[in-house]
Amino acid sequence: MDQRFPPQLFPSFYNSGPPDSLPEHCAGNWGCYDRVRAEGGSGPVSNWTFTPGHQVRGETWRHTEPVPVPLLPPKRTFVSHSKPPDPQDFREHMQNFFMDHSQDAFGCMGEILSENFNFQNRKTENLSSRLQSNQNSVNMWMVKNVLGSLDFKVCHRTYRSRSLNGLGALLSDAVHSVPPELLGSLLYEELTEQRERMLFSEGATGGALAFIPFSEGSSSQRGCLLYPGNQGQNQLNFHNVELQHHRGGSSVLTPSVDDPVRFHLKGPIRQISSASLFNNCCVAVRSDHLCGVWRFSEGTDPRLLQVVSTTEVATCVSASPHVLGEVLVASESGVVNLWAVGKGMLKVREEETNLYFNAKSSWRWCEFSAHPRVMLYADRTGVELTDIRSSPARGHTLFRISSTSACRSGERLILSRYLGDAHSFHHLITTQFSAYVVDERFPSVPMLKWDHMMESAPLFCHVLPGSASSGSVVGGDRTTKVVLGSYSSQEITMLQYSGGRVEACFSRGPPQALHRPRESLKLLPVQIPHRLDTATNRLSSPAAGLTCVQKKGAEECVCVVQLTEAGDLFYQILEPDRPDAETSRPPAAETLPPEREAAEHLSQDSQLVVTDTSSDGEMIGPTQAAPRFVAETPEREQLSDSEDSQRGQTSRWVRQLGLNVIVNDDPEPHPGGELDGAGTDAAEAGKEPSGAEEPLCSSTSSIPVVPPEETPDVKLSKDVLATWKRWLQKLMKKSCGKRPHPHLLHFTNSTERLLHLPVEGGAGDPSEEERVQSLRRDLRVCMSKRSLLLHDTVSLAAPDAVPLPNVVDTGAWKDELSQRLTLSWQGEDAWRAWWEDKLGLNKEEKVKALRRKRRREKAVKRASSQRLELSGSFCSSVSYQDLGGFSDSCGWSSAASQGAGSDSEGMMSQSQSELPGARSPSTMICETPVPTPATTPARGRPVDQRTPSSSCLRSLSQKPEVTSASLKRSRRPSGDDLFTPQVRTVLKEESGLPSPRRTPRADLSREDFHWSGFSQSLSQGSQARPGLSQSSQASQKKKKSRMGF
Amino acid sequence: MMDDVEGELRRPEGDLDDDHNLSDNTSSRRNRKSMFSPGIPMCVETLKETGFHQSNRLCLERIREAMLHHRWQEAAEFMACYPQTLENTTRSSTKQYKEVIWRLSTEILHHHHNSKMEDYNNIYERIKHSGVKHYLMISLEHSFHMLLNGHIEDAKRHLLAAESWRYGRESTDQYQKVKLIQAYRSLLDYIIWCDKKFTLSGGNFNDPVGNQEMQNYFRQASVNLKDILKNPGVWDPFILSYVEMLEFYEDHDEALNVLNDYAYDNNFPPNPNAHVFLYQYLKRHNAPGTKLMKALKILCVSVPSHELMLEYGSLLLQSEKASHLPKALGVVLEMLDFACWRSNLDVWKHLKAVIQKLQLREDWRKVVLEKMAGRKDWWPVLHFTSFHARKDSEENPELMEVKASLREVLCPDITLKYCAAGSSS
Repeated sequence: MDQRFPPQLFPSFYNSGPPDSLPEHCAGNWGCYDRVRAEGGSGPVSNWTFTPGHQVRGETWRHTEPVPVPLLPPKRTFVSHSKPPDPQDFREHMQNFFMDHSQDAFGCMGEILSENFNFQNRKTENLSSRLQSNQNSVNMWMVKNVLGSLDFKVCHRTYRSRSLNGLGALLSDAVHSVPPELLGSLLYEELTEQRERMLFSEGATGGALAFIPFSEGSSSQRGCLLYPGNQGQNQLNFHNVELQHHRGGSSVLTPSVDDPVRFHLKGPIRQISSASLFNNCCVAVRSDHLCGVWRFSEGTDPRLLQVVSTTEVATCVSASPHVLGEVLVASESGVVNLWAVGKGMLKVREEETNLYFNAKSSWRWCEFSAHPRVMLYADRTGVELTDIRSSPARGHTLFRISSTSACRSGERLILSRYLGDAHSFHHLITTQFSAYVVDERFPSVPMLKWDHMMESAPLFCHVLPGSASSGSVVGGDRTTKVVLGSYSSQEITMLQYSGGRVEACFSRGPPQALHRPRESLKLLPVQIPHRLDTATNRLSSPAAGLTCVQKKGAEECVCVVQLTEAGDLFYQILEPDRPDAETSRPPAAETLPPEREAAEHLSQDSQLVVTDTSSDGEMIGPTQAAPRFVAETPEREQLSDSEDSQRGQTSRWVRQLGLNVIVNDDPEPHPGGELDGAGTDAAEAGKEPSGAEEPLCSSTSSIPVVPPEETPDVKLSKDVLATWKRWLQKLMKKSCGKRPHPHLLHFTNSTERLLHLPVEGGAGDPSEEERVQSLRRDLRVCMSKRSLLLHDTVSLAAPDAVPLPNVVDTGAWKDELSQRLTLSWQGEDAWRAWWEDKLGLNKEEKVKALRRKRRREKAVKRASSQRLELSGSFCSSVSYQDLGGFSDSCGWSSAASQGAGSDSEGMMSQSQSELPGARSPSTMICETPVPTPATTPARGRPVDQRTPSSSCLRSLSQKPEVTSASLKRSRRPSGDDLFTPQVRTVLKEESGLPSPRRTPRADLSREDFHWSGFSQSLSQGSQARPGLSQSSQASQKKKKSRMGF
Repeated sequence: MMDDVEGELRRPEGDLDDDHNLSDNTSSRRNRKSMFSPGIPMCVETLKETGFHQSNRLCLERIREAMLHHRWQEAAEFMACYPQTLENTTRSSTKQYKEVIWRLSTEILHHHHNSKMEDYNNIYERIKHSGVKHYLMISLEHSFHMLLNGHIEDAKRHLLAAESWRYGRESTDQYQKVKLIQAYRSLLDYIIWCDKKFTLSGGNFNDPVGNQEMQNYFRQASVNLKDILKNPGVWDPFILSYVEMLEFYEDHDEALNVLNDYAYDNNFPPNPNAHVFLYQYLKRHNAPGTKLMKALKILCVSVPSHELMLEYGSLLLQSEKASHLPKALGVVLEMLDFACWRSNLDVWKHLKAVIQKLQLREDWRKVVLEKMAGRKDWWPVLHFTSFHARKDSEENPELMEVKASLREVLCPDITLKYCAAGSSS
């Protein structure tokens, strides 16, 4: 089918000329249809159909895991810094050089001057030498201190020496072996170049990773993965891997247990290009000055065929898909050679300059095309098709940076790739902004253009051919997928397109960004800081290659494998989305998104909890935990509690498993280096350090914080987490040994002999010494086990028990002063209450309270028969007392309140009972949102709307807008009011709310003094709990400040 | 008040960057940087940034990130806040921000499960009328959207409105947009013309009113279609409809003229379809063989792998001229060079026919040798290895037979393993 050329292409203008548009915005070509083509023959209007150049929907492919997974355990490697060096830092580098390599920096002059400098202390030298030195040498012993201090981090303004400064001024232009100006400029240049190389490494183009599929199994796809190994990336590995995928179950890429076949090369591997024909594979490998060709097939070991060295740096190697053993090699000299392995090289094209304009680049690239004797010759400015049969090779433009291809100014060609597997006439060409599909039968007009929207230019690509059944968009036809990978930012982007045969090419769906290794740490359990540093550094080393493993058949999937420069391989598996998978997701329109909901709960509930606990403080008394503690914890705890069940589950079990990683044993040798004992190693070995696991219910244990924005749409599976855990542990073990010692030590004053006790009975009491030693040993064991050093584990004599001071019995003091003083410890409120009591100011209130209490008791009796079963459900919930207080006292008709309560509370209690930590009542109170009736309508759930009845309705009717407005506000923006903030503004104005940021809780609490229906009950409540009046004042204050927004 | 001075100052600097063919050393270094880490425009922190700018920028980044990861719901939520960026008073960039808002929101609507046509219309209309710079582009996109949803009449109305829109000095881009809008409008005219033709064909063409209507649509369409064909470009759909109408009204000179221009004008890109259209037209009107061959000969030079080359080969084979036979051989051999034809039975059969006819001549060996000279070192590997033999015998025994019979003729001096596996089985 490839031979068919689309009978109708999309219309476009052909503008020859340099590009003139600038990169303007960051939206790429989102939202564009590009062009439209009509189909339908000459029938009635209704027969006509239209096809856009960019179809809105593509196939949906979902990740099976929210993070990429490491394929192999980490190897020791040189990890460069994640940040590119700043050329302005050259002075620092010079200083390091002077300090570390002083012999090289000052050796020559030092030798000459050494005769005239005398560093010996005057006191210790003998007379004769002194006589000698006095004559022809300068005494330098005073400088010695200052020089000694150079090894430490000290303030060089404090520790300076006048004589040294003088000498410096005198000799600074003479003592350097290399003039500092020269050294500085060279360093600057080097750093600039390093920086550029870190941002964009030309040499890595094409990528040093390849996968050669073997015959397909029933449930797995096997093949050989080719990747560089060793510290210098100079080892070529042929490693068999197997991709297993089960929908719904686990899908993994597993390396085979046998060792990979290895070849050592003389330089780092830059690019691997492979071609297969009839199950025979030819692998061409490029390093800077060497190119080699291997041949292998399934079942046979790879065999090196030939290696050639190039004088200039080789920039491209490309194995022929037509004839095995033909390889194109391009080098920076601008020459492209056709290398028939075993037969020799044939120069097929040479260009001194760039093709279309002077891009000042010596990068060259070459690829094969549909014809075995026509090749592509590319540089930064464009691509030419070259017929290599005619001997000054003829070329004609296939693609150039111009306005025809809608290039932007400054755009350059980055990579060209023959898409032989997908379509025998198609080529992929990428620039830093776009990706093009070019048909070599219609040169100079790209068939398809995407904005790939990657941060840095794509250097690697892999193409997954779609099914070529009919070329139309019906049924099980699959799109061709182009996976692009960039270098420094590790991005991977997947693009999809169809067509090219019976109809013109059209792109499908917007570009999809895949996961990057550097972002995976966010989703993994928290690491302790210095490990986080190491891991971040390692994970953010630039990408060095990209390939995909495709598994076809019933359970098809794609596994994207990425290589980083540190030599790590990461893979992520994508599977096509099926409609049945969609239904398991919560319908997005009806509920708030989990993170948003969580955030809202968080903001509301944390306030609620804070105010309520402070008011409840005195009522609950001793069982309540300290208010300060309560006020702090809810925010952290709520995060996990108020999440919806999906996320709650995730994080909960992340917490369970993750804790092992957090409580990471520290394999780092202490300065002394003795504590690298067996205990740490055992824990390191990847087993769960069972003794180390902390109980999970403690509310202070660290919770892996999933940033609300980064909500994974897929859950992190147990296996992946375990893999990551092991990987990180091994990484720590590998990297701890070679951490460079800090360059400068801190300057410390020795306090060793400053104070010391007179030793009784001689210096060395052996028993005392031994006890200290054993104590140290015990301590070390305890530390390694992460247990406490308890008294019974130590072989020490029991210390004298110091008796506890007697408990102060405040009741013993009867006098008023003592009472007042005792009460004043409990705070000003208590003290004031005492005075009011004393002066009889609250007599009336007390009477009222008593009356109310009686009335309430009657009501309780009345209602208790109906509420028996309900109270059971409340019991497990947190807010029993609170809610009970309200519903008892106020004018809520009991039936209604039951209905409402059981609705919301039932849910609450259910979610509560799932949580392992929510057992003891004290933690419950601080953990859960306390749902007071006042907040229920404000929460804005449609379910809750029917809660208020009779009296409550009456009271609410005074402020009906509040409810409706808050309801509207809390509804998720959907469909019609997506982008119309005006609508909301109008809403706000209608509802008469002064500020949109005020929380509904605040609205209601402000109103509650004026609500006749509520006022009584609330005031009753406030008297029952003395703290409330103040707390409501406090809340009013708070709200006022909030209104100032 | 909140003028983003940096933003304004940044533009001219960018302008300097684009001199790619006349650049001195310093600017080339700058170019290098801009080339390899372009950064994301509008998502880069500027020096004098107010809190307003910052929150807008962060919001944009979030939207972008969510959209790139296809988290449409999240993007929609952020998007609900983003239009506040239009309150920014910075003059220089509002156009871009409007465009960005339009692009982001349409894309989100494309993927939002309950987006409605009104939402689309709302966005298109608002952004279209909020600035003059992108009016044409968005009008065109809007009509595309309607076309794709089957509202052909509405689309035509929008295109008509956009056509009559004028603003200031026309840039090249604007000019081209206007031409495209006109051409698409004419394409819709053509579609209605087809409809009329269809309804008339049921009855009779003598209905004067219907004929007049058709004539009107033809006239409306032809003006713009003819116009756009003067601009270099790819106009396959337009030229096809134009030629169909011309053929209907029997204006053959004009049709041929248009097709010839499209195929042979050097300002046009080398579109294989241009030659195909010409050839098909000629064939439809029973042009003589030489004319057909001439058209195909030119196509053969640019696209030797085209499927019409089989027809070309048979035309050459049927022709009486002696020189055409080696040409036919060349054409078929060249087709077989390409990956897509290599295991195509028809081509191999055709090759066999050519060779058989050639063998009637005295000098056939010389002719074959001449054509195979450039191929002898790679053709055997390309077609006649034992692997090919195994594959062909499994998949297509007939092909195997044809190939095997030609093996000796094409590569007489080389011993090939092509039959080894196949013949034994």
